This record gives sequence, C-alpha cells and structure tokens, in this order.
Amino acid sequence: MIEVIGLTRRFRRSVAIDDLSFTVAPGKITGFLGPNGAGKTTTMRIILGLDRPTSGRATVNGVPYRTLDKPLTQVGALLDASAVQGGRRAEQHLQWLARANGISQTRIGWLLELVGLNKAGRKRVGGFSLGMKQRLGLAAALLGDPEILLLDEPLNGLDPEGIRWMRGLLKSLAAEGRTVLVSSHLMHEMAVTADHLIVIGQGRLLADTEITQFVRPGMSLEDTFMKVIEGSAS
Amino acid sequence: MNAVAAEWIKLRTLRSTWWALGAGVLTALALTALGASTVISRWDLGQTGEHASMGIIVAVYVGVVLAQLPLGMLGTLTISSEYTSGMIHTTFVATPSRTRVLLAKASVLGGIAIAVSLLIAIPGYLYGQAVASGFDPTPLPAAAWTVVGGGTLMIVMTTLLGLAFGAIFRNGVVAISMLVVLLVLVPFVGRMLPGGEVVNRILPGYPALQLIEQVPDTMPDAAAFAVLGTWAVAPLLIAVLANKRVT
Ligand SMILES: Nc1ncnc2c1ncn2[C@@H]1O[C@H](COP(=O)(O)OP(=O)(O)O)[C@@H](O)[C@H]1O
Ligand SMILES: [Mg+2]
Repeated sequence: MIEVIGLTRRFRRSVAIDDLSFTVAPGKITGFLGPNGAGKTTTMRIILGLDRPTSGRATVNGVPYRTLDKPLTQVGALLDASAVQGGRRAEQHLQWLARANGISQTRIGWLLELVGLNKAGRKRVGGFSLGMKQRLGLAAALLGDPEILLLDEPLNGLDPEGIRWMRGLLKSLAAEGRTVLVSSHLMHEMAVTADHLIVIGQGRLLADTEITQFVRPGMSLEDTFMKVIEGSAS
Repeated sequence: MNAVAAEWIKLRTLRSTWWALGAGVLTALALTALGASTVISRWDLGQTGEHASMGIIVAVYVGVVLAQLPLGMLGTLTISSEYTSGMIHTTFVATPSRTRVLLAKASVLGGIAIAVSLLIAIPGYLYGQAVASGFDPTPLPAAAWTVVGGGTLMIVMTTLLGLAFGAIFRNGVVAISMLVVLLVLVPFVGRMLPGGEVVNRILPGYPALQLIEQVPDTMPDAAAFAVLGTWAVAPLLIAVLANKRVT
C-alpha cells in the first residue's frame, strides 16, 4: 500500500507536484501515467525519501520510507536504470545491495536468471545496453522479495520481446498480491499492462480509475488520454 | 553493520580501488627502501642500536607520506563517483540514513588506510632491520610509537578528509583539488607569508610531519595528535550535516 497525501513539490521556478493525493492498492498493476514533465519521477522520488515535499506527505505501509528498517525487503524500486557504476559486474552490483539489507546472496543467481541476465551476470555493467540495465534494475528491485514495487518507466530501452516479457512479469507479481506502481508516458503501453490508472498532468491529479472505466464512449484509450491531458492544460 | 559490509563490497569490486592501493603501496615501498638504504649508508660506526632502530622507523614512514595522495583520492571517489553515476540514489534507497552511509564508508576507508600503512611499514621495517643489521638495532624504542601512531593517524586523516570533501562537494575534480590545495599548496604558500608558521601549525600537514620526525618540533606531540585527530573527524561531521540536505 502506497499513500500520497496532499503532496506538493515546488522547485525554484516551477511547481512539479501540486496537491496530489492517491493511494495504490495491492494485487493489481497501477499505471502512473502522464506526459513528460508531469511529475511522475518527482512523486516516486519523494515516496522513496530521495526528495522532500514542500508540503504533504507520502507513506509506504503507513509509514514514511525513511523510517523503514531493511527497506528493500518491503519496497523494491527502479528509478533510473542507467544510474549504476559501470566498473562492477552485474552480480557484484546485486551483492552489495543484498548485503546492505541483510538479504541472502543465494537469491542473486536465481534473480539474474529470472530477468534473463544469467549469461551476463559476470559481465561489467558498463557494457550493458539500456534494456539490460532495466533488467538488472528489476532484479535489484526484486532482491528483497518486496510486497511493494515502484518502477519508473521500466519499459524504456526494452525491445518488443523485452516489453512483452516485462508485462508478463509485472502481471504475475501483481497476481501474487503485490502492490505494483508503474509509471509511463505512453498510453498504449499502459492500456495493455495496467489494471488501474492514475493520470497526472502538470503535477495535478486528472484521473484515478479502473482502466475499464477510463475510456470515454466512442473513443479509444489513447484519444481519451489526450482529451484528459488537453482538458487539464486549458 | 550491514551498511559497512555493503560499502566494503562496493569498494573491493571496483578495479580502480586496487589500482589506487597498488600504486600507493608500491611507490611508498620503493621510496622507503631507497630512503632507508641512503640514510643507513651515511651512518657512522658509533651509531647506537636504539638510534639505528629509530632511524629505520623514521625512514619507513616517509613512504607513508607518499601514499597519502592516492588514499585521499580513493576516499573522495568512494562517494563522488556515486554522485556522478547517480548510483547514490540506490545507496540511499537501500540505506535511507545518509549519516549511516557516510559513517559506513568512513569505517571501511579508515580500516583500509590502517592496512595500507601497515603494508608499507612492516616490510619497510624488516628491510631496514636487515640492511642495518651491522648496527644491532633494538626492536622498537619507545619514541618509535609516536612515529607509528602519528604516521598511521596521518594517512587515516587524509583518507577521511578526501571522503568528507567528496561528500561535501559531490564532484571528484573539485574535491580532489581542494584536498591538494589544503595538504600541499596552503602549507607551501603559508611558509612564505609572515605568520605562516602559526597557520601551518593548525593545518594537517605540519603536525603530521612533526610526529613522524620530518620537521623540527613546534608544539607538544599531544597537541600535534589533537590537531590531526580534529582534521580526521571535523570535516566528516560537516559532511554529515551537509548530507542532511536532500536531492
Ligand atoms: N531538481 C529539479 N530542479 C528543478 N526542476 C525540476 C527538478 N526535478 C524535476 N523538475 C521539474 O519538475 C517537473 C516534473 O518533472 P518529473 O517529475 O521528472 O516529470 P516526469 O517524470 O513526469 O516526466 C518538470 O517540469 C521538471 O523540469
Ligand atoms: Mg520521469
């Protein structure tokens, strides 16, 4: 369970998030949708305690992220997959991360296999493509077998086969009862992945609804999305 | 302890760590061996065993002076490279307390600095004892412990200072430049200015050199230890405060 309550984040000149409130429920994939610059990454960073809100708050399992003991065992996050040090082997990256939260190293081999990096596990991350880094980032997010997953644009850089694979994996994680929040700026990706949609534009909440109820009569999902975004801008 | 173990894995899984340590230890050992041979060859025959032993110890810690810079740079890069790559966010997601992250890095680096000083001092000492065996050097005179303690604190201080600057400036080039300015440039310029020797006494360089018997005493040894210790700890505390700042 993720809760965002009256969240506002002002930067020097702009308002990135504007009085945003929503909850993310377990057992389904929640698509966090909005055009570039809508405030998705900023919201996720605040949920993870990487940035402080100007006002409002965000909690995971009812408490602020920063107060969690061994947070990786409760929350798995994938923000910027390319933000890794290239000199380390993939398995070494997972080793330090596991150790930081007292997680057994025995999961690493299995996870590398799950994300399709079993052959690349001993290769240095510097030589990875963005798609491979996304896979490594997902393995890192799953390291502590967390109930909650926060993934920021995880489909970026994946090839069509990779996108299908990621979609299937996310669905099975949600089916296990986990809370899965996935951001994207592409409606058609979310249309086939998400069960629930949280749509934001210019930091404000535009829609918070089951995907089946989002579509307006006589319109495609994508057209509805564009209408909603345009409606907010004017 | 989890954070300390994780930082140790991070450090040992980067090749650049081993390059920095290897370069530091090898150049230091070469200088120590060269220095010890030169110094010992100049001794006259009346040298007492205790003097000989002290001479060996002093020569050994000249090498440790040289190993400071690669260690200080390693200290800086340990955190600045995480800011540059953005991986620091993953670190903070795993360990939300920034203070705990910084102190974990400091523990690992402090341990490595001590290990490096021993890796230089022990072979250097054995080599010196062998070369100077004709003078029958005593094992370790009491005064030697000031040199050992001062030399070890010196390299630990520089390593932690590098880490603190890396955490404060978050940019490797800026942080390493500041380190060089403080350790090399300011003492050098200070010596030429009126009142410079007073300023030098509270900079980290001079007290360290006094403790390892490379410059004449200008303060009690206890004061020199206090100044060095302050330089090891205070910048790190400032870095802890600076890191409370989020983003
Ligand atoms: N550190 C920052 N300083 C100033 N503005 C920022 C900063 N981070 C994000 N912003 C601004 O906040 C807005 C939302 O950005 P972001 O959360 O990255 O959007 P999204 O992830 O939805 O594309 C953008 O206008 C962006 O320029
Ligand atoms: Mg974004």
